[in-house]
Amino acid sequence: MLFFRSEERVREWCRAHDSPVRPLVPIDRLWGLATTWYATRLEPGSRRPKPDEMRAIFAGLGLTGDFWDPLADRF
Amino acid sequence: MDFDLQVKLAIYRHFADTGIRPYTANIAARVHATESSVREAYARLRTQRVIVLEPDGETIRMAPPFSGVPTQHVVESGGRSYFANCAWDALGIPAALHEPAIVRSRCEQSMEPFRLAIGPDGPERSDWWFHCAVPAARWWDDIVFT
Repeated sequence: MLFFRSEERVREWCRAHDSPVRPLVPIDRLWGLATTWYATRLEPGSRRPKPDEMRAIFAGLGLTGDFWDPLADRF
Repeated sequence: MDFDLQVKLAIYRHFADTGIRPYTANIAARVHATESSVREAYARLRTQRVIVLEPDGETIRMAPPFSGVPTQHVVESGGRSYFANCAWDALGIPAALHEPAIVRSRCEQSMEPFRLAIGPDGPERSDWWFHCAVPAARWWDDIVFT
């Protein structure tokens, strides 16, 4: 899970590492992920989301498809 | 409060207060328990994927979003510096602390420095990108690589 300056830098990195290019996430959407995942992490009621909850979180941020499905079996 | 929850909260409070990982003795002192019982709680928390331990079974490698080891992802907030496990966690630290922060990292391809200010309403505008090479279903196959 890394930062990149541009889409081209992502493609270069993926070529260099023989890795497929995955969905790109802009910084404002990454902030949505970060707050959803971690905003309560220091509080007693915090817990890791379950797989179906993860799906809902990703979908709520527009991150859909098998790549974001924690139960996908095609990988 | 459940003992494992006390240990978990003590780990997170230590990271938040100091920016570095705690020794087992630090946590034992915070929860008024023996180091042995804390180590046993660590093992259970690891099974639940709450923390990641080093091979010695008691040194904390990750308490996401906090990293117990130096990384390229550094968060400055409240006069302290924190290491994050990954790009996601770099934004996760200010989200967890609910404090303004500066995130410093780099473009992993060009090595260009990345600096992002996080304010009360979230990050400043940025045209940088986040990319994850590992699908969600495989994240915990090797969480350190992910």
